[in-house]
Amino acid sequence: MAHDAHHAEGHAHAHWDTSVWPFVISFGILFLAVAFSFKFVYHNSFAAILSMGLALPMIIAGVAGWTSEAMGKGDGFSYSAMGWFILAEAMIFASFFVSYWYTRLHADVWPPAGNITLPKLMPLVMTFVLVASSLTIHYAEHLLHLGNKAGFRTWYLLTIVLGAVFLGMSIYEWSHLIHDGFTIGTNAFSTVFFSVTGLHGSHVVVGLGIFLAGLPTVMRGDVDEGFMRTAGLYWHFVDIIWFFVVSQIYYW
Amino acid sequence: MNLKEWIFTTDHKRVGVLYLIGSIVAFAVAGIMALLMRAELSTIGPTITGNPTQYNVWLYAHGAVMILGFQIPALTGFFANYCIPLMIGAKDVAFPRVNALSVWLFYVGIILAVLTFFIPDPPDVMWTGYPPYSTMTTGNTAMYSFTVLILGFASIIGGVNFLTTVAYMRAPGLTLNKLNIFVWCTLGAFVLQLIFVPVLGTAVTLISLDKYLGTNFFDPSKGGDVLTYQNLFWFYSHPAVYVIFLPFIGVVYEIIASHAKNMVFNYKMVVYGGIGGIVLLSGEVWVHHLYVSGMADWLRIGQMVTTLMISVPVGLMMIGLIGTLHKGSIAFTTPMMYALGVVFLFLIGGLTGVPLAVPSLTLAVSDTYYVVGHFHYVMAVAGTFAIFGGIYHWFPKVTGKMYNEFWGKVGFWITFVGVNIVFWIMMDIGVKGMPRRYYDYAHFPQFEDAHQWMTLGAGILAVGFAIAILNWILGAINGKPAGDNPWGSPSLEWSTVSPPPHGNWPTPPSVSEDWHPYGFKKA
Repeated sequence: MAHDAHHAEGHAHAHWDTSVWPFVISFGILFLAVAFSFKFVYHNSFAAILSMGLALPMIIAGVAGWTSEAMGKGDGFSYSAMGWFILAEAMIFASFFVSYWYTRLHADVWPPAGNITLPKLMPLVMTFVLVASSLTIHYAEHLLHLGNKAGFRTWYLLTIVLGAVFLGMSIYEWSHLIHDGFTIGTNAFSTVFFSVTGLHGSHVVVGLGIFLAGLPTVMRGDVDEGFMRTAGLYWHFVDIIWFFVVSQIYYW
Repeated sequence: MNLKEWIFTTDHKRVGVLYLIGSIVAFAVAGIMALLMRAELSTIGPTITGNPTQYNVWLYAHGAVMILGFQIPALTGFFANYCIPLMIGAKDVAFPRVNALSVWLFYVGIILAVLTFFIPDPPDVMWTGYPPYSTMTTGNTAMYSFTVLILGFASIIGGVNFLTTVAYMRAPGLTLNKLNIFVWCTLGAFVLQLIFVPVLGTAVTLISLDKYLGTNFFDPSKGGDVLTYQNLFWFYSHPAVYVIFLPFIGVVYEIIASHAKNMVFNYKMVVYGGIGGIVLLSGEVWVHHLYVSGMADWLRIGQMVTTLMISVPVGLMMIGLIGTLHKGSIAFTTPMMYALGVVFLFLIGGLTGVPLAVPSLTLAVSDTYYVVGHFHYVMAVAGTFAIFGGIYHWFPKVTGKMYNEFWGKVGFWITFVGVNIVFWIMMDIGVKGMPRRYYDYAHFPQFEDAHQWMTLGAGILAVGFAIAILNWILGAINGKPAGDNPWGSPSLEWSTVSPPPHGNWPTPPSVSEDWHPYGFKKA
């Protein structure tokens, strides 16, 4: 019987797919959690540095190993998966914004003591830069779709530059505010300001990280179109969230 | 056996088995915590520990580990991993490495939870972690935050993985109306996870930020609001009940249809009315956990209405189960016993929940053992029975061998008697005024007898569970060969060999027009 033949053949070279990287990353994250406890709960900096020394190499090696193992071998599901992942991401931002609204609308006095006026021009420029980067990545994808790989590379690199400029402006603004004595612990509004802009900034970092991970293949010229679409989708999401940050945190 | 091919595996079946082993270990650990608490409460005053904080740590570990370490991973980890690709005729999940990442993150979460017993200043914040206590205690709140975050992240990537898998990897001919009820239920649960877990992750992150990095989310003196946490927490943790309920009732559907050899009653009503209704309503009821925390009256009324409304889709799912039993040729196998146990326990749990939805009644029984009893009936025990029944049901598929039917039933009956002693008495003394979470009850000496009965019941149910677990271990080692399809089910997971090889089928299956997972041949 064909079925039995297959079965026997399956036993002959019973090979099960493996990958060490998920295991490595997971235990890297364990040491990260341990490091946090050492630093902030038990105030043992040495042990914290030691655990971080284990955690970071494991996580970085894990991500790098995973990327090189999997890059270009996708089944084309990543775009849809990113859609679901963005739903979860959106809920994180939603919880931050809703807690902010809840606190603000419940407060007897707002703003709480110790507030300062946020700059109004800087966020406008930042908005312009981020929207521009969303347009450039869209145009890059469009060129890739038409088969223009050189053009794609140019607009792709431009997107990375714009993202980096945005991040630089964020850091500049933070350092100014902290210099003026407006820190994350000042009051409830400063807490919201730094945590929400920080959360958004961390997403910009991740987005840039995804673009940089794809950079070697882009420079070689063999671009994975599914990867580009997925990375672009994430980048548009980061852009859209920024509108909420600007309107709710800076201008309200 | 090649150990490396187990630890570093990306195969969905092996990942599933890793989930199963981890969650059974977590179940044992959390169960021992419960037994320690029951032993402590067996007499008034200190019994086995003189330290109330020790009791709080047990309370924390029991709740957090049972929910996050046992029920959710067993249901959305083991059953989903093992069964979904087989049920939809896929060779694996869409992202096998992501799957391996989620199981190892789960183990990391369990390790963190178990470390709780060995570190100085363990977390003592219950499984809820309410501020301001959690931001002021000397206990290690960071440990709690990281455990929740890591397990939460594991379930988010698991959710992304399975939604993509079912969307794109179904066998040819397997249309949406031919999916197993379990697949539908689990998809619903994963959608809920994706929407609500991030909110819980945010909530527990904010506690640690407040406590260790000096932010002011929950500090009223700096303009923060302490009730924000309760809202965020329950915005996840109420739907979490459905994250557990949906897959476990899905497991019960599979068992009852297979062992009654009957078409699922009103398939479309169950899927679109029951599962769909629960998914739509589950996000609109969380405020009923805050009835006594203080809120506007109009909000109480609104939440009472939505809370009562959600019993309608849940009721539809119960009708589906009873209807499937009707005119079926019922075989009282061990899995079927557990499934019928779920129907019974869930009915008690569900009906005792209705008074809790009504604010005027809740205000009277809030924070008493009535709530504990109700919760354990509806979720803890019903869910655990479904998990045990499900493990028995798919045991021949996973191991290729048969468990011992006699000891299976013995284990079931002992557990069944034990849980009813414990949790029925809990509801009874709760209505009479016994407050929950007390380390000592010197002010309520009239309940000492009841507490001793409950401690006895806890011992009984522990014996029952131990018999079941031993039965699996012995069956996996030297059970009789079970054959590929011992239950005679047309569902796809039974169409391959037991245990299935890597890749599941030698040639990918496809299904015909008149095939249905519940299309049992009538005798």
